[in-house]
Amino acid sequence: MSALPRHPEDIDPELWRASHLAAGFDRVVLCGHAALAAELPGGGWLAGALTELLTPQPGCGELHLLQPALATVGSRPLLLLQPPHRLQPAGLAWLGVPAGQACALRAPRTADALWAAEQILRAGTCGALLFWQSEVRQEALRRLHLAAQASDILLFLFRPLAAAQATSPAPLRLALRAARGGIEVTFVKRRGPQRDEPVFVPLMPSPALLSRYATLDRRTSAAPRPRGVSPALVDATP
Amino acid sequence: MLEKDRVVALDRAALSAGIVAGMRRGGVLTLAPGAVIRERDLTREAELVRGVAFALLHFTPHVVLAEEAVVLADVSASLRLFGGIRPLRRLARETVIAFGVTATLAVAPTGQAAWLFARSSGGIALTLRSVDRALRRVPLPALPPARPYAEWFDGLGCETVDDVRRLPRAGLKKRCGTALLDALDRATGAAPEVYEWLEMPPAFSARLELPDRIEHAEAVLFAARRLILQMTGWLSARHLAIARFVLELEHERGRAAVPPTAIEAALAEPTSREDHLVRLLKERLGRVELAAPGIAVRLDAKDVREADAPSESLFPEPGGSPQDHARLMELLVARLGAQNVTRAAPVADHRPEVAARWLPVGETVRSMPPPSGLPRPTWLLDSPVQLIMRGHRPFYGTPLRMVSPAERIEGGWQDGHLVTRDYFVAESGDAVHYWVFRECTGARDDREPRWFLHGLFG
Repeated sequence: MSALPRHPEDIDPELWRASHLAAGFDRVVLCGHAALAAELPGGGWLAGALTELLTPQPGCGELHLLQPALATVGSRPLLLLQPPHRLQPAGLAWLGVPAGQACALRAPRTADALWAAEQILRAGTCGALLFWQSEVRQEALRRLHLAAQASDILLFLFRPLAAAQATSPAPLRLALRAARGGIEVTFVKRRGPQRDEPVFVPLMPSPALLSRYATLDRRTSAAPRPRGVSPALVDATP
Repeated sequence: MLEKDRVVALDRAALSAGIVAGMRRGGVLTLAPGAVIRERDLTREAELVRGVAFALLHFTPHVVLAEEAVVLADVSASLRLFGGIRPLRRLARETVIAFGVTATLAVAPTGQAAWLFARSSGGIALTLRSVDRALRRVPLPALPPARPYAEWFDGLGCETVDDVRRLPRAGLKKRCGTALLDALDRATGAAPEVYEWLEMPPAFSARLELPDRIEHAEAVLFAARRLILQMTGWLSARHLAIARFVLELEHERGRAAVPPTAIEAALAEPTSREDHLVRLLKERLGRVELAAPGIAVRLDAKDVREADAPSESLFPEPGGSPQDHARLMELLVARLGAQNVTRAAPVADHRPEVAARWLPVGETVRSMPPPSGLPRPTWLLDSPVQLIMRGHRPFYGTPLRMVSPAERIEGGWQDGHLVTRDYFVAESGDAVHYWVFRECTGARDDREPRWFLHGLFG
C-alpha cells in the first residue's frame, strides 16, 4: 500500500487533481504576465493544443495579451487566418509583435479556412497560428485540436463571447474583456479548479497617453527618523 | 480481353462463367452474354510499361525495358541510399501501386534471373546460391528459348528450369542452339549481361489517354498522378527539380472542338517531390471548371532547375526547413487563391491606409518600414466609420473620451489622395480603446468637423 504514488502526475502526466492546476506539460510558451501565468495550467500557453479566446469584439487587447508569447516564437513565421480587419504592420511593431514574417490568409468559405488551418498545423513550419472564426462546428473543433496535438504550434482560436455557452474540446478557453489599463481574463474552462472571478492583466504600453488623474506614486516615503536629542547629550549638559 | 479473336486475359467473374483462355468471341458471348470484351491494345500497353519504367527511375538511373512487359532496374548502387533491399522493394511496390497497375516484384543478383522470377511467381534471391535454389521452382515455359522445345522437354520429364540445367550442355547446344544455354548462363551469373539502359529524353512531355470521358476535373487526378510519377522519376534521374509545369486536358474532337484546358503551376521553390506536386495539383484541379468532357491528359515540364543536394544536417531544424514552409505556402495559394494569401509589406507613409499594405506572397518588393514609436492600432478598418455625435462628443456604443493628444496626419498631396486628419486615441465607457480621427476643416467650411472611427487596439 505504501507504493501508492503521491501525485497523480506520477501515474500519467495527463492526470491531475481537480483542486490543483494541471502541470507536467513539456511544450509551454511563457505567457509573460505573472498574474495570468499563476492561473494557467502549465504556467503559460500550451503549444500543440487548441486555445480558445472569446472576445466581445475585435480590438479589446487580445493581441496585446499574446504579445510576449508571439515574440518568443518570433523566429518562425506568424500566420493569421481570417483576420476580422486589416492588420496594420506598424501597430504590430508598436506592440512588439514581429510582423516581418507575418502572413494573413483569407478563405472564401469556412471549409477552406478549416482546411488551411489543418494544413498549416500538419506542416508545422510556423510558430503561431491565430485563427478567427465565429461559426465552427464541434467536429471541426475536435479535428483542429487533434491536428494541433500533432504539432508544436501555438494555436489560438478567436470566437465571439456567445460561443462560451457551446461545448468545445479545447483544453483552455478564456473570455477576454477590456478593462482600464489592461484586460480582464475569465476562465471558461481550464484543467484545474473552477475560478469565477476574472484575472486582471495589466498591458503595457497603453495607448492612453493622457490620464484623467495624476499618476499616483505608490512608493512609501522613508521612515521618519526621531528628531529628539540623544539623552546622553542631555545628561552631558550641566 | 481479346487478341486476334482469342481470349488472352480474363477476370475471376469470367472464369466462374466457364470462359477459358483461347476461346473465341462467339463462345464467350454464348457463355456470358453480358461480358465486357475489349481488344488488346499493344501500343497502350507498351506506353504503360514505359511509364512504370520512368517511375522506377526514382530508385536508379539504370532501368531497362525487357521483353514481355518486364522492367529491369539495377539497384545495386542505390541500396545504401534507400536503406537496404527490403525498404527499397517496399518503396518500389508502393510506387508501382500508386501508378495504378499490379506487378510481380522479384529481386535477384542477375537481371536474367530477376526476369525469370518476375515472369513466374516473384520472390527474393540475394545470392547466386539462392538463385540456384529458386530456379528449381521456376517452370520451364517461363524461359522463352525453351518454349519451341516444350514437348521434347516434357517427354524428357523436365518441368523446371533447374531440370534443364542438369542436362548435358553439349547435347542441349546441339539440339536447341546457343540461345537457351546463354540465357541459363546469364541467369546464374556464368555469362555477362549487357543492357541498353533506358535513354532519358532531354525534355519531359507525356500524354495519357483517359479510359473514359471525364466530366469533373478532380477525376483527372488519377491520370495526372501517373504522369507526375513519371515526371518525378525523370527529374530524379537527371538530378533536376521542377519549377513550372503545365497540365493540359484535351477535350473531345469533333464539330465543337474546344482548345485544351491548361493548368499551369509555377512553384516558388523547385521541387521533385511527388506527394507535394500531387497535392498542389489536386487543389488546382478542384477549382477548374471543364468546358467539355476530357479525353486525354498531357503533362509538360516547362522549367527545370538543378536540384539542390539534400540537407545532411545532423539535427533537423525544429519546425521544418524554409523549403517546407514554402511548400505550405504554395499549397495554400493553390487552394485559397493568390490574392488571399498576403504578407506584410509596409510602406513608409504617414497615411495609415497606405502604410498598412499587404501583398500576395509571391510578389517581392522592397519593404520600407514606416516610422515607428507612435501608438498605432493593430486593426485598421477598411473604410472609416463615421461616428454620430451626442453632446458634442463622438459616440460609439458609449460616449468616447479622448485619452491622447491629437496627432495630425496631413499628407498625400503628391498622389491626389490628400488627407488632413487629427488622430486621437479614444476610450469608451467599457474601457475599449479606439483610434478615431477628426476631419480638419478649413475656416471657410461652415459645417462641423466630422469624427470617424479608423482603428481598434487589438
